[in-house]
Amino acid sequence: MVTRQETYFEEFEVFSRKTQSSPVQYHFSLLAPNEDIAIMMAQENFMRREAVDDIWVVKRQNIRKMTVEEKKTLQRMDNKDYRTTKGYGYLKKKWRKYEQGMLDEKEIMSWGGGVTNEE
Amino acid sequence: MKNEALKNISIKELLLQLADDDFIHSYRGAEWLGLAPHIEEDVASASISQDTMGHAAIFYKLLEELGEGDADRLAHDRPAKERRNAIILEAANGPGYYMKDPDYDWAFAVVRNYFYTEAKAIKIQSLQSSSYEPLAEVAQKVQMELYYHLMHWKMWFVQLLGSHHADAVSRMKAAIDKTLPDFAGVFSLGQYGEEMVELGLIDGGIQKKWVEAVTPIFESVGLATTFKIGMAKGDGRNGVHTEDLEAALETLSEVYASDKAASW
Amino acid sequence: MNVLFNEMTEQEKLNHFIARIEAGEKIEADDWMPEDYRGTLIKLISMHGISEIMGALPEKEWVPKAPTLNRKLGIMAKVQDEMGHGQILLRVAEDLLKPCGKKRDDLMQDLFNGDLKFHNVFHMEAKTWGDAGLIGWLVDGAAIISQTNMLGSSYGPYSRALHRICAEEVFHAQHGEAIIMALAEGTEQQRKLVQDSIDYWWESLLLFFGPPSKKEVGSSKQDITIKYRIRTSTNEELRQAFFSKYVKRILSLGYTIPDQTLRFDKESETWIYRQPDWGKLKVYARNEGPRSQGRLSLRRISYENNKWVREALAPKVM
Ligand SMILES: [Fe+2]
Ligand SMILES: [Fe+2]
Repeated sequence: MVTRQETYFEEFEVFSRKTQSSPVQYHFSLLAPNEDIAIMMAQENFMRREAVDDIWVVKRQNIRKMTVEEKKTLQRMDNKDYRTTKGYGYLKKKWRKYEQGMLDEKEIMSWGGGVTNEE
Repeated sequence: MKNEALKNISIKELLLQLADDDFIHSYRGAEWLGLAPHIEEDVASASISQDTMGHAAIFYKLLEELGEGDADRLAHDRPAKERRNAIILEAANGPGYYMKDPDYDWAFAVVRNYFYTEAKAIKIQSLQSSSYEPLAEVAQKVQMELYYHLMHWKMWFVQLLGSHHADAVSRMKAAIDKTLPDFAGVFSLGQYGEEMVELGLIDGGIQKKWVEAVTPIFESVGLATTFKIGMAKGDGRNGVHTEDLEAALETLSEVYASDKAASW
Repeated sequence: MNVLFNEMTEQEKLNHFIARIEAGEKIEADDWMPEDYRGTLIKLISMHGISEIMGALPEKEWVPKAPTLNRKLGIMAKVQDEMGHGQILLRVAEDLLKPCGKKRDDLMQDLFNGDLKFHNVFHMEAKTWGDAGLIGWLVDGAAIISQTNMLGSSYGPYSRALHRICAEEVFHAQHGEAIIMALAEGTEQQRKLVQDSIDYWWESLLLFFGPPSKKEVGSSKQDITIKYRIRTSTNEELRQAFFSKYVKRILSLGYTIPDQTLRFDKESETWIYRQPDWGKLKVYARNEGPRSQGRLSLRRISYENNKWVREALAPKVM
């Protein structure tokens, strides 16, 4: 068995998360001999001027991307209102008749901060 | 009254040591800009040199506040014999000049950076409870950035020594043998060291703590832990320096010295 | 309709490709692309990337010499950014080179043997602190004009790289202005530093944008880059933009530009200027500028001296 040694490194993709509640964001790729060095390079190469809460490095070969053919599966017809609130907007008017507000996204998400008891 | 004077001089001496160490250390780091083993490391280590220069600036500022003169003057306009940095930190990165034929040794850079950062982390830890309040406050801030510096250099140290690459291991060992004989200069507190410790400005026994900190790292890469730490070239804290510092200061102050009164 | 992409003819693929870029879509590294598109991008981006790396060197020379602690910090951060731009761009170029089996090693070798060129401005000397300021102010200014022109590039990775880069260039421009402003408002000696720098760099700044057309140097890549929507403006349009943005600023500080013929012609709405010596572009391309060899030698030394590090840590492939 032959040990082939190259003088250059592996490709790592770098991701970060700004805060504990934000989604992970892709930055760029870098070359490093291993993941420990890759993670040590990541912040100073791509996030020198921004605060981050966490960093991920992933060896590029471990990322499976879509092929051109597969990307075609991403297309959708524009007829899926039934899946979103857009298809139910008429409720606002309906509820108004009964003197009730709309339980829209803004209202429902606001319950996360606690609901005040009321009649 | 005499005590007060002694206290003042001890504070100033300590601040000068801290400032001058970081100033020259950052300079040696900055000479590596554009020359590191790979581009990603060039970018990453440049941040450490900047942080370190930033720390020097903060320490000079504390001296400025004590009436020692402008921070920029303190950094640029003191001859070698007035400098308090450890001699090992002024040693050139290798033969050559940073602009022409820099025959620099990455093994020496890694060893010196790791050893120094470990020592600095121990000092800064102690300074957080310094009896000199402004210094204690600064130490708390500086400490935040040392996590990265230390992890960064420790990683290089461990990976190169643990690489089982004969050339790398022998270069690293040679660098350790070059660094340790002068490394006690980093632990020295100079002629007012006793007063500094008595006054609660900083804890003594830095060297012992350093040995405790690096011993497991040495063991993890199979290195002997018989440390022969010395001050072969003298104690920089007392103004003893080498030609390497003279040359560095000439470069560092070239523009500043062209017009000391000008605003740059 | 149901033809698999891989089963399309070359012509169909090309049509599909052109349709995509004309619709404003971005091409990604793994997408099919015509060979001359790939070739043009490789040339453009590897030259851009290596120019960032070589371009870090003139200012690096002034990092330790910067006259105050703050200036030392600022210029260190700036040099670091330029290395960072090099990193980002070389990664983009390396991905394009993958089908050709080339890696970063090969790019470095190409640089050393003269196949990979770097921009004319970085062959020049940075002799004074004034030059260090002027590089940030006007060389970065020129670079900003040419880089922002490609922000909307049809090649997605390049466009994204340029967005990261241009965001940092804003800092570079202000860093340069700050150095220049302090000198311009300083002593006679300091003021003179800036004038000397303008005089020394002016021609290089004009050369930087490249020749107006093929006839000046015998070849030009601008047609193909515009055709493939890699950029939008011609060399001359970019040079004109540079005049429009910077001439007034230079004059407002009381400095002169070493070209008495320079003027804005209202009728044609263009700047009239003395043509630089276009032949110099060829001289620099042969690495025969004042600092070409010195800077190449720095990179070569760093590459050779640190080979053991890369060897020791390179992943072992069984
Ligand atoms: Fe740049
Ligand atoms: Fe720049």
